[in-house]
Amino acid sequence: MLDRISTTVGKASAWLTLFMVIVTFVVVVLRYVFDVGLIWLQESVIWMHAVVFMIGAAYTLQQEQHVRVDIFYRAMTPQWRAWVDLIGVLVFLLPLCALLALKSFDFVAFSWRLHEASRESGGMPYPMVPLLKSILLVMPVMLGLQGVSMLLRCIHTLKKN
Amino acid sequence: MEWVAALMFVVVILVLLAGFPVAFTLGGTALLFAGVGVLAGSFNEALLSMLPNRLFGIMTNGTLVAVPLFVFMGVTLERARIAEDLLETLSALFGTLRGGLGLSVTLVGMLLAASTGIVGATVVTMGLLALPTMLKRGYAPEISTGIICASGTLGQIIPPSIILVMLGDVMTTAYQQAQQNMGVISPQTVSVGDLFAGAVIPGLLLVLMYLLYILGVAYFKPDAMPAHQRTADDRVSWGRILRALVPPLGLIFAVLGSIVGGYATPTEAAGVGGTGALLLALSRRELNLARLREITQSTLRISSMVFLILIGASIFSLVFRGYGGDDGIRAVLEALPGGMVGAVAVVMLVMFLLGFVLDFIEITFVVVPIVAPVLLAMGLDPVWLGIMIAINLQTSFLTPPFGFALFYLRGVAPPSVTTTHIYRGVIPFVAIQLLALLLLALFPQLVTWLPGKIYG
Repeated sequence: MLDRISTTVGKASAWLTLFMVIVTFVVVVLRYVFDVGLIWLQESVIWMHAVVFMIGAAYTLQQEQHVRVDIFYRAMTPQWRAWVDLIGVLVFLLPLCALLALKSFDFVAFSWRLHEASRESGGMPYPMVPLLKSILLVMPVMLGLQGVSMLLRCIHTLKKN
Repeated sequence: MEWVAALMFVVVILVLLAGFPVAFTLGGTALLFAGVGVLAGSFNEALLSMLPNRLFGIMTNGTLVAVPLFVFMGVTLERARIAEDLLETLSALFGTLRGGLGLSVTLVGMLLAASTGIVGATVVTMGLLALPTMLKRGYAPEISTGIICASGTLGQIIPPSIILVMLGDVMTTAYQQAQQNMGVISPQTVSVGDLFAGAVIPGLLLVLMYLLYILGVAYFKPDAMPAHQRTADDRVSWGRILRALVPPLGLIFAVLGSIVGGYATPTEAAGVGGTGALLLALSRRELNLARLREITQSTLRISSMVFLILIGASIFSLVFRGYGGDDGIRAVLEALPGGMVGAVAVVMLVMFLLGFVLDFIEITFVVVPIVAPVLLAMGLDPVWLGIMIAINLQTSFLTPPFGFALFYLRGVAPPSVTTTHIYRGVIPFVAIQLLALLLLALFPQLVTWLPGKIYG
């Protein structure tokens, strides 16, 4: 169930990578061929990029694609690996997510209160900047949930033996 | 409290070896150290409140947007199966020469390196495609695996490389910091484009040295790389060769040329390159909805992996600085005998050793921001330093017993090829790498001439 949230959201935001490529191409064509510079369009690429790697982080964890130093990990039995992951989630991942969420809360809330808009003239209008900053809250929550799912799987592996 | 920073560095390396994902280990370890420090009253908690701002800075970093775009381009070209075509046509072209297949594999490795720039992917692709053919044609397993590993790691240094984009971003900040500390009023800047331009000659130099070595082996040990008797089925027309070579080459030159020539930013060029790669795949009838979905998901996973390490590393370096670690490093480096030369030599050696356990991404984001400002403040050229780091780490990934490239190849090599074969095969190439590093150290112009020529 937790896995499904990460995967569905991750796969959906993956399409943004295609849009990033196409929008960048459009920006270039507009700039060099038609001499038109659209700041908000250019900013939108950066935004899609932020969504892709922040929102995709949980999905990437679910897919086992976050790089490990696997010199020893590769040679371990499934039980040993489960122990490494169990301790890692409890000691590193979950506290990290908790801290990020906690520290980001004020930062995000402040931006909403301020009705913050892009500092560039011709940039993104009001609700977009706080919305982007809110990703700082969404990411640790999703990553934490995926961490819990990883935890449950480790316990399952350890119980089986 | 500098000893805490040193302890933290040692602990994080040890904990990383357990195998939990790097991004979270970096951030988590730093957090634990910060937590203990806050309780003991030796760490300023207010520093941690800078985190959201820093993360938001990473999210909106305009230079690093080029990374997912380049990844997209690379994955698309990989899925469009240009490697197969290139290898087939080039080996038909050179195959009847003694050592000819070896030359073709090196050249294809170079082209793949320039177009995809993802080391693991290049080594695996070449291992799957080229290794069986080489062995079937009587090539010694040592030389075959050596060629594949070495040319597969070229992706780090030959532009447009994703690694150089990241290194460029880190170098920009480090260079600004160094000049600020030196009290320079109107600081100069260094860009990703500078690094790309600086990498062109050293990259080609490496390829040239590989090729000469292969020709040498073919001449002195003909049994190791026999010539292939031409048969009717592997004769290819010039039209086919051109069709295989021109589109990827054109794409690489367009992307690289527009960046190095200063016509486009790396991000813009990468976006155009990605679109070009899509059109190329479309024209080869290798693109459909299912494959496009694979490409986007693969791009997302690679980008997310890279940027989460960056987030973990930035938490790590925040805490490292909080404990005065950067002052400690500066004191150590400045106290080394031999001044600048001694400092560079020690940093290079440490990075080489770290390259056994850490990936390029981690070293770029964790180690470079700590040491580069100190070295640059000693008056080093930032482009030269960047390229030296890049080639140094490439060498580290080739060096037995821990080099990453060797593991990647081991994973896809047939059982008849032993680990010893791979180790013995790469050693000459490691020697070539070290020779290249020495040449660049003695003649820095090899790096600095082209950027100087272009940007003045």
